[in-house]
Amino acid sequence: MTRDKRDEWYPVAIAAMLPPARGRDTLLLGEPIRVRAGDSGPQVETAEGRALPVTIAYGHVWTCLGTPGDLFPIPEAAQPGRRLVDVGMVRVKCSPLRAVENFLDIAHFPFVHTDILGSEPHTEVYRYDVRIRDEVDEVWATKVRFYQPQAAKSAEGGIETEYMYRVPHPTCSVLYKTSPPMPGEWDVIALFVQPLTEELCDVWPWMALYDDASSMAEMIQFQQMIFLQDRSILENQIPRRLPLDPGMESPTRADLTSIAYRRWLKRRGYTYGAQLVAA
Amino acid sequence: MILYDYVLSADCYAVRLLAALTGQRLETRAVDFYPGAAEKGAAFRAINPAGTLPVLVDGEVTLAEPAAILMYLATGTSFAAEGASAQEWLARSRHFAAALGGARQHDMLEVPGDIDALRAEGSLWLRILEAALFEAGEEGCGFLLGDTPTIADIAIFPHVALAPDGGVELGAWPRIRLWMRRLRALPGFIEMPGIHRLHDLKPEPGPDYGGAAA
Amino acid sequence: MSVSWTPVALTPDLPPGGAVPVRAPWGELVVWRSATGRLSCFPERCPHRGMRLSHGFVRGEMISCIYHGWRYDTAGQCRKIPAHPDLEPPAAIRVHSYPVAEAGGLIWIAKTLPESAPPETGAEPLRSLVIASPASAVTEAAGVVPGVPGPVSLPDLAAPLILALQDMGEETAVHALITPADSAARIAASRALEAFRRAVEAEEIAA
Repeated sequence: MTRDKRDEWYPVAIAAMLPPARGRDTLLLGEPIRVRAGDSGPQVETAEGRALPVTIAYGHVWTCLGTPGDLFPIPEAAQPGRRLVDVGMVRVKCSPLRAVENFLDIAHFPFVHTDILGSEPHTEVYRYDVRIRDEVDEVWATKVRFYQPQAAKSAEGGIETEYMYRVPHPTCSVLYKTSPPMPGEWDVIALFVQPLTEELCDVWPWMALYDDASSMAEMIQFQQMIFLQDRSILENQIPRRLPLDPGMESPTRADLTSIAYRRWLKRRGYTYGAQLVAA
Repeated sequence: MILYDYVLSADCYAVRLLAALTGQRLETRAVDFYPGAAEKGAAFRAINPAGTLPVLVDGEVTLAEPAAILMYLATGTSFAAEGASAQEWLARSRHFAAALGGARQHDMLEVPGDIDALRAEGSLWLRILEAALFEAGEEGCGFLLGDTPTIADIAIFPHVALAPDGGVELGAWPRIRLWMRRLRALPGFIEMPGIHRLHDLKPEPGPDYGGAAA
Repeated sequence: MSVSWTPVALTPDLPPGGAVPVRAPWGELVVWRSATGRLSCFPERCPHRGMRLSHGFVRGEMISCIYHGWRYDTAGQCRKIPAHPDLEPPAAIRVHSYPVAEAGGLIWIAKTLPESAPPETGAEPLRSLVIASPASAVTEAAGVVPGVPGPVSLPDLAAPLILALQDMGEETAVHALITPADSAARIAASRALEAFRRAVEAEEIAA
């Protein structure tokens, strides 16, 4: 099931914070575009002045250079009682695909998010299930468990957290994790990535959390803290692009989600930001 | 003491770091600097009319200049430093912040700026720091003002350690690397995003390593 | 070029437990020193996910990648994968180990083991700095070529410094050594070196 990269929706702004007047000059798949607040909502146009399709979902303005289909659903976004958090954009000098893959990884928690999402000696990644759900054309990892010293802003002390990961779009991922104040429910944390070029991306994290205690600023900054810990990793991976050649890197059983993601990208023909042959 | 704080701010981190190193408790209040620009809003300007972070409030005292906050917290501790040399480094920390911090904001948060000029200016200040650390080392000192760390080190360190966020790499600065390592190894040291834990200091987990999660 | 030794750092700038990135003519590398003082030189990328190993950490006789904590011994063999604590890492998970040596106050690396040992300098380490000019320009100003430490007289210094140049493409690392001197003389030498750098970068001098 291949789809042209130009036919995907991509995030380009926070809907509630539209750049006024002059707008935001940015890139999408290497093409210059401008995002601005129009009279009847956000407008996106190319350098030649061609108006691009726009949709608003999950706190963000999304656009498309080609012919868009439906944006993937996040049903939890509409559930009452959740607080929706626009975390803001962070630019990273890496392939958009590397940003997504890192988001799917748990084995780095003890070393990169030390004493927050993981800590030695609790480094083991237990078996979990991964499959490509053909009916929705998404990658799903389930029954992922990890010991976390401070799983969320709302967490007090360490808990074993359960995760589900979902890749519904080549540059977007949604994770579901145990909600510390609502153990029967899942907190939703999404990573929406705007590919500027194959080696540069703007990452727009977004969350739908059960948390009545934290201020909005606290929730935003908790997630910014986590993502900025990842940024210094992402900017130091060699090569910048995500290798799809299996010989280039050495995955283990802990990397099943990433293996499935890479396979799914290949199958979809999504290679923007990928390195196909070993350098 | 209340610190109006932004988690990604190097200057806010300097305050949190000094408090941690000196065993002082801060009550942090997160201010939505980004993306919300809350420090420019009316509510925050009632606390600091200048609309900047960090701000430290301790009873009747309100301080909003990073160097002044560090001096305040360091009073009566081994991190206190007075005199012209201390002032020189505290003032220089503003140049580090403008250049390296400016490059960081440009590369990370899409803040406009002349990135080549910011990085060049940042490298100039790193050269000055590298030379100063060499000379301090020749005098038997591991830190900028002596053989123990002071607010001079704390004021400069965050901007230097976060320089790679703005595309200024630290591989070619041996004295700076060793100085940062000494600071990161101090008892009570805390990290911020972009400055990883010195995992070397933690012993290798034992035979039961990775065993059943708690 | 690749069969000779390349100076990459002064000995005291890489103490036990340290790891530094190195730009060699044949690629990006990490040089690190174990707790017992043993030097190793590997390619910069961890084979797992490509992370730079110079960002990693050294515990005892192993270097760990900062990303997932994969541990490599001084020969480059992966010894531990923390995500799978009970797994003995397969022999195939290893990084190449390049020759590395210590001589004359300098740390040297090579792509393949040269026939002779790196040269002695008869001097003590002063400091390293990077000049934002290609090696050819530094050679023209200093009269020494990359890889071969030699005496260079700088203005206002009583004795020449020994400079070892490291070609890094657009930039050049200068590893400076000095005959035994007191701290005032060493500080004066450091300042003369700074002035030399400014002059080379401004293209003001030639040997």
